[in-house]
Amino acid sequence: MTQHELATRDLTLCHGRATIIDRLALSLPAGKVTAIVGPNGCGKSTLLAGLSRLHAPKQGAVLLDGRDIQQLPARELARRLALLPQEATAPEGLTVAELVRFGRQPHQGWLRQWSAEDQRIVGKALVAADVSELADRPLDTLSGGQRQRAWIAMTIAQETPLLLLDEPTSALDLGHQIEVFELVGRLAAAGRTVVMVLHDLASACRYADHLLALRNGQLIAAGPPGEVVTTDLVRQLYDIECTLIPDPATGSLLLANVRRAGRVKKREGEG
Amino acid sequence: MGREKAAMRCDVSAQNQTRQWPAEERCEGAANDVVAPSGHWRLAWQAADGRVPCSLLIDRRAFGAALVLLMALLMASLAYLAMGSNPLAPQAVLPALVGRGDIMAVFLVQELRLPRLAAACLTGAAFGVAGCLMQTLARNRLATPGIIGIDNGATAFAVASVIGLGVSLAPPAMALVGASTAAALTFGLAAGGGTRGYRFIVAGIGVGAVFGAITQLLMAKVHIDTANAAYPWTVGSLNARPAGAVTLLAVGLPLGLGAALWLTRALSLMRFSDAVASGLGLRVSQRRWQVLVVSVWLTGLAVAVAGPVGLIGLIGPEIARSLSSPRGVPVVASALAGALVMVLADLAGRVLLAPIEIPVGIVTAVVGGPWLLWILLRPASRNLA
Repeated sequence: MTQHELATRDLTLCHGRATIIDRLALSLPAGKVTAIVGPNGCGKSTLLAGLSRLHAPKQGAVLLDGRDIQQLPARELARRLALLPQEATAPEGLTVAELVRFGRQPHQGWLRQWSAEDQRIVGKALVAADVSELADRPLDTLSGGQRQRAWIAMTIAQETPLLLLDEPTSALDLGHQIEVFELVGRLAAAGRTVVMVLHDLASACRYADHLLALRNGQLIAAGPPGEVVTTDLVRQLYDIECTLIPDPATGSLLLANVRRAGRVKKREGEG
Repeated sequence: MGREKAAMRCDVSAQNQTRQWPAEERCEGAANDVVAPSGHWRLAWQAADGRVPCSLLIDRRAFGAALVLLMALLMASLAYLAMGSNPLAPQAVLPALVGRGDIMAVFLVQELRLPRLAAACLTGAAFGVAGCLMQTLARNRLATPGIIGIDNGATAFAVASVIGLGVSLAPPAMALVGASTAAALTFGLAAGGGTRGYRFIVAGIGVGAVFGAITQLLMAKVHIDTANAAYPWTVGSLNARPAGAVTLLAVGLPLGLGAALWLTRALSLMRFSDAVASGLGLRVSQRRWQVLVVSVWLTGLAVAVAGPVGLIGLIGPEIARSLSSPRGVPVVASALAGALVMVLADLAGRVLLAPIEIPVGIVTAVVGGPWLLWILLRPASRNLA
């Protein structure tokens, strides 16, 4: 697989007049899982929307293999970069297999609606996301975790080297969260670059190879979680004090003894 | 056999599953083994070298729905030609169509009923497709051109043209201008809320009310004979059809239908949330514009013929959707269902209180009103188009 590089240059994203992401420069390591973390309103989801061209930059650019993604044709971008937004809704009555088949859309056309390759890839995507048994069930009859795996299967069927997930585990219980994270890990192991927005710092430490910590639209830390996550960073991000201890089994960092930061200080730049 | 060889190659690539890349690793020659996804027929042309240059999927349920609706439309048309103040025997209708048999029957069918049947089919199909497109665009089944004010805009302008309000454009052109104006106003007023949600629909209802009032005002200000000439447009009737408008619709409908069919793949993606659709490679805003233009085009042309029979745009797609599969957007079925409802409604209007004729717009309102209430009162989970 040819590795595809996603990077930003001087990226500025605004909602109306408010600047959400301010002159951000970053690059995402290929073939790895990157987690974007930060407090509510720090611009995590906006950044992901910018990376996937849902949100046009005010200034700067998102570069895919050195090319500005604004200049790529929509279908070509969809063949290189798949996105699972936070509130994904599907037409009612659609079954899992039908949803996953939509993932082939960017590869199909009017005269090429269903090929051997489509069939093989959809089958593989159903297996990879462990939803083969659910293939004929309508989406609205599934549990939250099953539905999320079905959506991820759709993005897998898109066969893109890059996969962006916006809070893929929010609203899932712990068991289903782990299922999704392990699936993400397998996808990265198979060579995909995965970027996900996460709320939970501990999950980010456990399952991401690379961490991007955002606050007020600025990148305040970037690197492997083991290296960049410090009590200082946690305080900066969430205004909490904690003790960081390594997980006895995996070595990834855990947050213990979590409490509000001692002094009651005004949270900077809120809102 | 070549087939076995292909299957073997498939197995090899399946074993390579841990290595998902590169994408070039394809199952060449396995086209014979392709199974159509459940509920579809797959038509494929295989070239001599084993490549498949063309493969089409046909949704069986959508196909069946279209077939059923087509049969029903043919039956309804036969009844339409046979029934009336001078009823004909059903077996006399077909000969009369080709000019054989009783001269009176030939006159009734060819000169009186057939043109009106054609107008009913054309307008019904146009309203049906326009409704289906707008519902898909707004992802809300209430967002039909009739409800969001486009019908009323087209009507107001057509009436202005008929009563000679200083504008020399023909009714169809004026109706198109009116439909576009109303659409622009609705979209402008709903700006910020996008084409999704109730803000858009409420804005549309407001725009429709204003144009409805303008129509009434225009009618009130002119001489009674002029007002009478414009009256059919205000209720929706197939009785006084401007000849040019029908011809224009006969040309414009295939164009609009063709465009809608060309957009079906985009339409099926539009039913997802915008972020998903754009993630799958849809140029969302560009496609929305195209869908909107086609919907306004069909609405304007149909209103120029029959006036605001907008409830067809609600009922037609609804029938089409309940018969078709949830996999796609039923463009063809909406056209057929719209035509069917229009033909039946006009037939009922002609026959029920004969010799008095009820305008088709009133018949559809009597049927469509309760339908609308039912949609509103139904559980919210089925509120999406």
